Amino acid sequence: MIADALKSVSEGVCSVIGPVTPDNFVQYCPRFIDGFFTTFELLAIASVLGLMVAVPMALARVSENRLLSIPAYTYIYVFRGTPLLVQLFLFYFGLAQFEAVQNSFIWPVLRDGWWVAVIVLTINTSAYVAEILRGGILGVPNGEVEAARACGMPASTRYRRVILPQAFRIAWPAYGNEVILLMKGTALASTITVLDLMGQSRTIFSRNYDLMNFVYAAVLYLMLSGLLTWSFRLFEKRLNRHTGPRKTEGSSKKPDTAKAGVPA
Amino acid sequence: MTEALVVKDLHKSFGDLEVLRGISFEANKGDVIAMLGSSGSGKSTCLRCINLLETPDSGDVIVSGEKIEMKTGRGGKAVPASQKQVDRIRSRLGMVFQGFNLWSHMTILQNITEGPVHVLKRPKKEAAERARELLEKVGIPDKADAYPGHLSGGQQQRAAIARALAMDPQVMLFDEPTSALDPELVGEVLTVMRALAEEGRTMLVVTHETGFAREVASEVIFLHQGKVEEMGPPKQVFENPKSKRCREFLSTKL
Repeated sequence: MIADALKSVSEGVCSVIGPVTPDNFVQYCPRFIDGFFTTFELLAIASVLGLMVAVPMALARVSENRLLSIPAYTYIYVFRGTPLLVQLFLFYFGLAQFEAVQNSFIWPVLRDGWWVAVIVLTINTSAYVAEILRGGILGVPNGEVEAARACGMPASTRYRRVILPQAFRIAWPAYGNEVILLMKGTALASTITVLDLMGQSRTIFSRNYDLMNFVYAAVLYLMLSGLLTWSFRLFEKRLNRHTGPRKTEGSSKKPDTAKAGVPA
Repeated sequence: MTEALVVKDLHKSFGDLEVLRGISFEANKGDVIAMLGSSGSGKSTCLRCINLLETPDSGDVIVSGEKIEMKTGRGGKAVPASQKQVDRIRSRLGMVFQGFNLWSHMTILQNITEGPVHVLKRPKKEAAERARELLEKVGIPDKADAYPGHLSGGQQQRAAIARALAMDPQVMLFDEPTSALDPELVGEVLTVMRALAEEGRTMLVVTHETGFAREVASEVIFLHQGKVEEMGPPKQVFENPKSKRCREFLSTKL
């Protein structure tokens, strides 16, 4: 179903841009578009799953309970401290060395490069995002946390209502940066047989030896990162309504006449 | 009748520094207690020990007859026996901070309804209605939908007072509520506090505003180096202080 839809989309795109683009690109257009969508899919799944792992990981990392904070610290230290390419190879080629893995129920997943790429990208980005969120959590003004404690909020409510919403706002720009890095990281998935944008470009290159293929890939990557940058900035503006310039109040409302105060 | 607040022999040290060295006092319902003292005398720490923002090393805090239970934790330090009880007691003590500490990502209305809705589990609509009444009371009814960052310091502090009032606290705790304000904004906050005192609210106010203490307080406590140096009705403390230190302190203020 989805594959059919993608195919018709890519055929449509190719027929539109065909007349104004180089022949090489037109010829392999469906492959580029297919690769582009694979890259996008990898990025979308890994960034969403990564965020879902990162939130509890960050909470564990800032916890005063060492049974939580030490494992979280170790996880972050290991997966942030080793190259993504090494992680991909260890998961894809390394785990396959163990017969127990080959015989286990998880083998159908681990022998598929695409799934390994999803898993490794998720783990890798979750370690980074957990650390970014930790910074956000520590950046929440202490007084506001104290105010939450002072009105009797239990820790769970405090995190849900005051700390995390603010931590996300603080962490948002850095998170956007991490998603762009992750996008570029997805290109490494091509080394474990995934035909993402990079994988497709390499396949095409092996046929026509035209270096322009990588220029086309770069342009497509640029388009994706442009889209990401733009949407992150858009959402950032929405998140930071409360720090922006004050909205002009409706004319029916009278301003506070007591003073035109400077915020202390 | 049980006292609204009883503090018995409170001790607190930060490392080697003994900040509170046995503080005791009581507040009946409707009392307005002003706590004075030079900086470092322990008045803010004392206030923060009452709602357990700092954990006292020893001594009792009793709110409306309910004593906060403590136990000995790891390393021999005192810790609250039940976090649930602490949260419950905190919800009965309205705290107003020197730095306002409004939640900056919420509108003023949300700031005020947050506690009632998510701690006291009151219906949203009811909480919002009450919040608007309170905003009216503190004189900023038109700021309900503004964010804290868009308000002046005085307005923020009045909103913070409304936020504390929304919990229907048995005792209001004020931690130097006007110290972070520009001089011309102090008056508006004191006016609101005065109105609260006249309503018969039980208040404990740590302050440098001796004028306010003199006119509004029913009792004044002067702290010096972690001890109650002088305590009594404002008339007595201001006009006829027994302790030399209290006299010296007041002479620099008047």
